Order: sequence, then C-alpha cells, then structure tokens
Amino acid sequence: MEEEKKDVKQNDIAELLIDNIKSIEEEQEAVAELAYIASVSENYNSANVKDATSGKVQGVHKNNRLFQKYKIKDMVFLAIITACTLVTGAVMPFVSGIQVFGIIQICLGLQFSILPVIGMMKVRKPGALLLQSIFISIFLSFMFPPMVSIILCALIAEVVALLIFRSYKNDWACVVAGTLYMPLTLPMLILLYNVFPSISKGKDAEQMFMVGSTNFGVAIGISVAVVAICFVGSVIGMVIMRELKKAGKLKE
Amino acid sequence: MSFFKYKNYIYPLFVAVTSAIIIVFGLIEATYIRGLYFLAGVYVWLLIFGCWKTCLKTLPVLIIAGGIFYGIGYLASKNHDFALAMVTRFYAVIIAVIPGMSIEPTAITRNLSQLKVPRFVTLGVLIMYSFVPVLRAEIKRVREAMKTRGTGSILNPKIFYRAFLIPLVTRIVDISDILALSIETRGFTLGKTKYTVYKKEYINIFDVLFVLGIITGVVLTVVL
Repeated sequence: MEEEKKDVKQNDIAELLIDNIKSIEEEQEAVAELAYIASVSENYNSANVKDATSGKVQGVHKNNRLFQKYKIKDMVFLAIITACTLVTGAVMPFVSGIQVFGIIQICLGLQFSILPVIGMMKVRKPGALLLQSIFISIFLSFMFPPMVSIILCALIAEVVALLIFRSYKNDWACVVAGTLYMPLTLPMLILLYNVFPSISKGKDAEQMFMVGSTNFGVAIGISVAVVAICFVGSVIGMVIMRELKKAGKLKE
Repeated sequence: MSFFKYKNYIYPLFVAVTSAIIIVFGLIEATYIRGLYFLAGVYVWLLIFGCWKTCLKTLPVLIIAGGIFYGIGYLASKNHDFALAMVTRFYAVIIAVIPGMSIEPTAITRNLSQLKVPRFVTLGVLIMYSFVPVLRAEIKRVREAMKTRGTGSILNPKIFYRAFLIPLVTRIVDISDILALSIETRGFTLGKTKYTVYKKEYINIFDVLFVLGIITGVVLTVVL
C-alpha cells in the first residue's frame, strides 16, 4: 500500500512538473510571438522590446529555419512511434514469402503511413521521416535486410515533400511524405526480385518467383493500390493528429 | 583471455552481417533443394552458437507456417518445386531473423556506442527495444477500457478509430513527454559529450567461428 501511495505521489509530482514546463513554454512562445509581431509592425520601437525579448525573437526566427536542431523529446517521440511501426510491421516475415508482387507494401501500407505521419506532425522538422527510417532500418537489418532500402525511400519522400511545401508546417506536406514513403520501396523490390532469379535459374524462375513482377500491367495496378492505401493511411494520421491538437494534447 | 572465453551470444555487428548473408543466399538458392539444406545447416549452427532458445521458439512457426506455405504454393501451382521454393524463401527470412532476436538490446546499444555511432541512434535503438513491452501493456489497458465502456467490436472501423486508436496515440504522446523529461533529468545530451562504455563488447573466437561456419556453408552449397 505504501509503495502504491509512493508511486501515485511520484506520478502526481511528475505530471505537475510537466504541466509547469508546458505552461512556461507556452508563456515563452506567446512572448516571442508578440515580440515578432512588434518587430515586423510599422510602429516598431526596438528599444521597448529589445531588452526583454531579443532572445525570444531569435527563437522565433530559428523556428522559421528550414533545418532545425533536434531536441531529446523529438528523438524520444520518433523512437517511440517507430517502435509502434515496428510492432505493427511484425507481419513482414510472414508475408514476404508469399509470391505476389507488392504484398508486403499492401499489408504494411496502412501502418507505415499512419504512424510516420503522426511522427512528422508532432516533430515538424525536416529529417523526421529519415530518422524514423534509420531507427527502423537498424532492426530490419537484423530481420529483413533488403528493407533497409527504406532509408533511401524516406530521403526521396522528404526531398519531394520539402521541394513542394518548403517545410512541414503544412499538414499536407506530412501527408505527401507519408504517401510516398512505402510505395517507393516497390522499385527497390522489383530490382531485388528480378536480380535473384536471374542469378539462380534464368527466365523460368523469374516468372515463378513473383506473380506480377514481370507483368507490367499487374505491377502498375498493385503500385496504384499501394499508393492509394498509403494516402488513406496518411490522411488518417493527419486526422488523428488534428484531433489531438484540438484536444490540447499536442504541443509541436 | 576473453577472446577464448565462452559466451552465449554473438557479437552484435556479426549478427547483422550473418543475417544479410542468410537471407540473400537463401533467396538466391530458393529454387534449388540445396537452398533448403543450407538453411537446415544454418539452423543447427545457430542452435550450437547460443541461439537455441530462439531456435526452439521459432520451431513451431517454421513447421506450421511452412506447411501452410507449402499447401498454398502447391494448390496454386500443382507444382512441388514451386511450393518448395516458397517454403525455402519463408525459411530464409525467419532463420535470418533468429540471430537478431537472440541478442540483448543493451548489447546492441553498447556495441553501437563503442563504434562511435551518433548518440541519437543509440538512444533511439534503446527506446525502441524497451518500449515494445510498454506498448503491449498500453494496448491491453485500452482494450480493457473499451470492454468496460462496452464500446463493441474492435473490428468496426469507427469504434477502432474512436475508442482504440485515439486513446492509444494520446497515451503514446504522454509517455513520450514523460520519458523525454526523465532522460533529460538523467543528464543525457545529444551533443558531442564524452561518455564511457563500462561493459564493452569484444569479438570472441566463437564469433569468428560462427561467421566462418556460415561462409563455409555458403561455399559448400555452391561447390557441392
């Protein structure tokens, strides 16, 4: 009983501490925002705001930079969300043996788009998707090494999203990156699955190896299906995060 | 003398290398019966080199899922070779996973720290490994809450979204905040600060033997 009471007390103290830090950060952000508005307004008088808020103004400008420094809390959240992705992706070794082209992507598309989008919308910094893919690839290198190519896919997806939207401030930037992430592994797998049979038994084996990988029409159809699944997943991820934001649970 | 001392796990970096060898070679040789022999040899080799617990755990999966894969393959093609190739590919993936499942997360983290891998990577790996049981417990709690509230079947998309997904993500966000605070209060930084690895991972004679055995298996499968 005493131990339970102690735990409850410790939890209460931890929650109070978090609330306190949150309120301080909110105050700081509000001050920084005011200072920024003042600095860009016509009646800007630097003497009035400079002393009290110069540091905060710099903070706002820092947040507007394309590449921002990662904090521990960002890393922790990305690692946790990647752990969730990994757990939901545990079905991969089982489906990888089924001889249908793109079966891995179809089975994993939803969870590999919902969770990365959640990660990107919480940590709105370039490289968020790349970091998630690095974390997951460390485990995949021990489990299914060809999927390590996911790092390259994350890099391409991020570059495309950032070229279009310039940052992750727009929710749709996260959706674009999340939609492209998994489908980009398809070309890598086409290469992989067409190289192995050609090494082992030639064309007959190639046709045997993967239903669809040698048929252009089927490959296109499955690719479109994967993109559609990932788009739906990304939108679901965005809706979840918007809801959490509305409920005040999310602090970017 | 630690080079000759017996240890019950493989050097973490060697695990990644051997997993890659097993899966790549297993997939290349999947259409031949010798691919299956190679994988059987690897399985025995893993049993000897400290992975026996994981090997025994995966044995039912190998038998049951292997049988299902064979059945599906044979029904789809009416071809024994085709079905066998399907089973071999499945075995290649599962057997490649075994060494990775056999090592401790702390061993991987220590090894990565020793190799001067950036701190954010080691932190991420450690959190990912330790978070899996927490996630399982959280899922259980949310499911229990669903039962208490009488929400209905989780298979209903609306219920799944409203009563399962949203509370779970909310909990994950909360846990990550608390965990980040906890890590920061323990003095962990992402900068280039000096740190000490107290229990270092060293390459042992058994690690060398293990890798050499796998490579010999590859060579013998190709030559014989």
